[in-house]
Amino acid sequence: MSLAEKYPEEIKRILAKYPPEHKRSALMPLLYLAQREKGYVDNHAMNEIAEMLEITPTEVAAMIGFYTLYHGEPAGKLRIQVCVDLPCALRGADKFLADLCANLGIEPGGTTADGLVTVEPVMCLAACDKAPVFQTQGPDGIAYHENMTVEKTMQLVEALRESGKEVK
Amino acid sequence: MTELVTLSIDGKQVTVPKGTLVVDAAKQAGIDIPVFCYHPKMEPAGMCRMCLVELGRPMIDRATGQPVLENGQPKIQWAPKLETACTNVVSDGMVVLTRSEKARAGQQEILEFLLTSHPLDCPVCDKGGECPLQNLTLDYGPGKSRFLYNEKHHAEKHVPLGELIWLDRERCIQCGRCVRFQRLVAGEPVLAFDERGRDTEIITNSEPAFDSIFSGNTTDICPVGALTTADFRFGARPWELKSAASLCAQCPVGCNITFNTRREAKSGGRVVIKRVMPRQNEEVNEIWICDKGRFAYHFTESEARLRQPLIRRNGQLQPASWEEALDLAAAKLKAAGKDALILAGGRLSNEDLFNLKKLADGLGAQSVLYTHVGGGDLVTQIGLASGTNLADLGKGDTILVAACDLYEEAPIWWLRVKQAADRGATLIVVNARATRLDKHAGYVVRYAPGDETVTLQGLLKQDKIGAAIREAGNLLVFYAADGLDLNGSTSVAAACANLLIETGHFGRPNNGLIGVWPHANDQGAWEIGFRPEADLAAALKGKTVYIAAADPAGDDPRLAKALQDAGTVIVQELFQTATASLAEVVLPAAAYTEREGTFTSGERRVQRYYPAVPRWAETKADYVITAEIGQRLGLDLEAGAPALVFNRLTAEITAFAGLSYRKLAEVRPQWPIVGRADLYYGGTTYENKQGLGVHLAAAASAGESPHLPEVRKGSGPRPQEDALLAVPVTKLYDLGVTVRSSVLLEARIGLPAITIHPLTAEKMGLKAGEKAMIGLGGHENEVLVKLDETIPAGVALVPRSMGLPVSAPAPLSVGKAK
Ligand code: SF4
Ligand code: SF4
Ligand code: FES
Ligand code: FES
Repeated sequence: MSLAEKYPEEIKRILAKYPPEHKRSALMPLLYLAQREKGYVDNHAMNEIAEMLEITPTEVAAMIGFYTLYHGEPAGKLRIQVCVDLPCALRGADKFLADLCANLGIEPGGTTADGLVTVEPVMCLAACDKAPVFQTQGPDGIAYHENMTVEKTMQLVEALRESGKEVK
Repeated sequence: MTELVTLSIDGKQVTVPKGTLVVDAAKQAGIDIPVFCYHPKMEPAGMCRMCLVELGRPMIDRATGQPVLENGQPKIQWAPKLETACTNVVSDGMVVLTRSEKARAGQQEILEFLLTSHPLDCPVCDKGGECPLQNLTLDYGPGKSRFLYNEKHHAEKHVPLGELIWLDRERCIQCGRCVRFQRLVAGEPVLAFDERGRDTEIITNSEPAFDSIFSGNTTDICPVGALTTADFRFGARPWELKSAASLCAQCPVGCNITFNTRREAKSGGRVVIKRVMPRQNEEVNEIWICDKGRFAYHFTESEARLRQPLIRRNGQLQPASWEEALDLAAAKLKAAGKDALILAGGRLSNEDLFNLKKLADGLGAQSVLYTHVGGGDLVTQIGLASGTNLADLGKGDTILVAACDLYEEAPIWWLRVKQAADRGATLIVVNARATRLDKHAGYVVRYAPGDETVTLQGLLKQDKIGAAIREAGNLLVFYAADGLDLNGSTSVAAACANLLIETGHFGRPNNGLIGVWPHANDQGAWEIGFRPEADLAAALKGKTVYIAAADPAGDDPRLAKALQDAGTVIVQELFQTATASLAEVVLPAAAYTEREGTFTSGERRVQRYYPAVPRWAETKADYVITAEIGQRLGLDLEAGAPALVFNRLTAEITAFAGLSYRKLAEVRPQWPIVGRADLYYGGTTYENKQGLGVHLAAAASAGESPHLPEVRKGSGPRPQEDALLAVPVTKLYDLGVTVRSSVLLEARIGLPAITIHPLTAEKMGLKAGEKAMIGLGGHENEVLVKLDETIPAGVALVPRSMGLPVSAPAPLSVGKAK
């Protein structure tokens, strides 16, 4: 089902916010809308949005690529995005990332076998003084987790795993 | 008058127009400031930081507004850090240091940084030898790196961006030139940056990938070996190549090109063309060419080329000597006398056409141009005058494009018309269907098929459009035969000519009529006196026909039939075409790449091309073959150098009066400066040292008043209730004689396809992408079905030169594929 079929009202509302000659400005909100579906924007959605805004699919893909909050590829239910930029690196973010991944049995950028968690290194999250820091992105939206340890993070993952069971 | 600004660069006083960028001001003064991301054809982006310089401006006393003096000299306020020369605009009294210690240190550091993630695989890189990164590193680089080799960034090295262009992600320095070219110049933003920081990479998500007809230009302006063409990659080293100045012969724009050639073992010791590069002509193609021009050159080396003369013996075409073949051809023509007919195609040079015309005149025979676009006699009268440059058009000017799909028919004109519209020119597009130009048009006028002429005649009566035409500072009108046959196109030309004449837009630069011809030199044929024949099949009846560079039998079964019914057929060609297969005598012609000559572009600019490779097998140049036939008939035709033929031409054809090969070879300084020593700046495009060409004088500029042509009353064929009307359209990548040998273009040429309205398709139970059988002109063909909502119901677009017999609007039946 296309986005237009599924969310006609919401799309109309988004497009109404921008003057028609600048409708490409609606790209970001439309990407959030599309991402809500599967946690990433698939090719279909990219092409559909491009057509809606009269831009090329390449321009849509470039926007997804530029921002760490948009995803063009499927991943785990929860994305843990660890800042490894210079200030955080000085507070041990590199090691934190490596240890976390080792604990989860994945490589940075990888997803756990059960499809629950993906861990990704990202650039500055603007919380440099509270490193190690990561942001999570999942069905419940975005959240910051500051001054983290691997232990605390594993608890978070466990909690999610439990709740996943409960939901089922 | 443009306001001028004087500044000092490296101690040199430089005066340039206000608004000039520091980097360009330096270039104009002969001072090189290294750049990667900046390109003189595009707005600056300031992305690479290679152009760092020390920059100071006179200090101004706030109280008095006067410059502060120090020892009688203005005191200079230096910018605290190095500045980018590509983003700073000159100002009076500015002081720029490009080679100071500080500036050099900055430049060195940028190069050191760039090289930390560069593979430095120059020995196997196609750009090696003409690479700005390589050259600038030698001139400005640190010579040594403090970074660790093992921590180099690695990325994918062989990424096809479509069939034509390959990307090496490791070599890309993220200058963004390719991305900006596609967005700003080509208007086809199908390249972009993905990711950020060190992971930044070029992507294309279009379908097909890198969907642009200008893609090859990105390989010229890419300052490294990241973008290469599938055609040339790993083909040769730049320093092994010879270059020959030439013209593209694929459309009437007349883009200036350079053929790079090499003698190679791989090709059996032959000298072959390795690639086509643009050659600068700011009034024609600037520094760009389209992908058809760049990739469709392979016909020259095709093994399928005719090698020797053929004569029909016992019903079979068999090899013969030139003597035999020429004697036979001459005897046949002599016997026919005024019952001979000479049919020529616009692929021939002015010299070839002139000799053919003299031969026809000597025999008293008719000389016919093989074309589907009419009105060249009008272009002769009110075509473009000397001093015309599409780049001069902008605000206050109007461009009308009628019955023409410029994008498919003349890409570089499309590009330049689009740019004129971007600069503020009013663009009016008049056509029966939507084309790529509509997006850039101020006014789009659609007509029902058959109403093309009345619609054009009515334009002046329309409020805004009428005013835009009448009040235009300059008015250019492009026309062709989109959806039409020769007759339709002739009336469109007449209607367009009337618009120009009535509103007084002719006889001066940047005003006039342009025929968008199917070939490079149709306009030359008109000037020399060739005329198309409305009913060619009837005209061929009983004639002895001498056909050069045209394949009527391949295009239209009715013409094939007419040729079978004609008397003797003599064919002069590159290939064994359908027409050649019907001939009594076949004369193998040299390709234009193998000889010298001139073409007259659609803008009526006469330009020279030079030999690039030796003549193939036993072939001879067209003008020589004709002259040798003529000599056998006792006619005095020139078979010597093309320049000698050209001299005779200029003496006889008034429009060419005063021209000479030497004059055509004259050059003037052009901006931007490009060429071998400046390739970091303009790209690998070639400098023009061989001639910019000269406009033919339009009869109207010489004071002759043009006559208002009569416009055909009545209309062309219209779609009927319950029947489809096939209308011919032109496709850029088709199966033309000089295109089909380029295997690389196969996917872009694709299968023959017809385009119909979705409702029509629904009625017939057809879907997009499905195969169907069509019946056209008594023939059945299998085609793909494409859908387009913008075309009128009841009409089917059928491409020319794709093996479908469509030379005029005609009824079409469509059925399911078997
Ligand atoms: S591919 Fe070439 S032109 Fe494009 S960004 Fe990279 S280096 Fe620049
Ligand atoms: S625009 Fe025409 S002349 Fe120029 S390169 Fe393309 S086909 Fe050749
Ligand atoms: S560097 Fe990690 S949050 Fe700023
Ligand atoms: S920043 Fe000036 S050339 Fe790149």
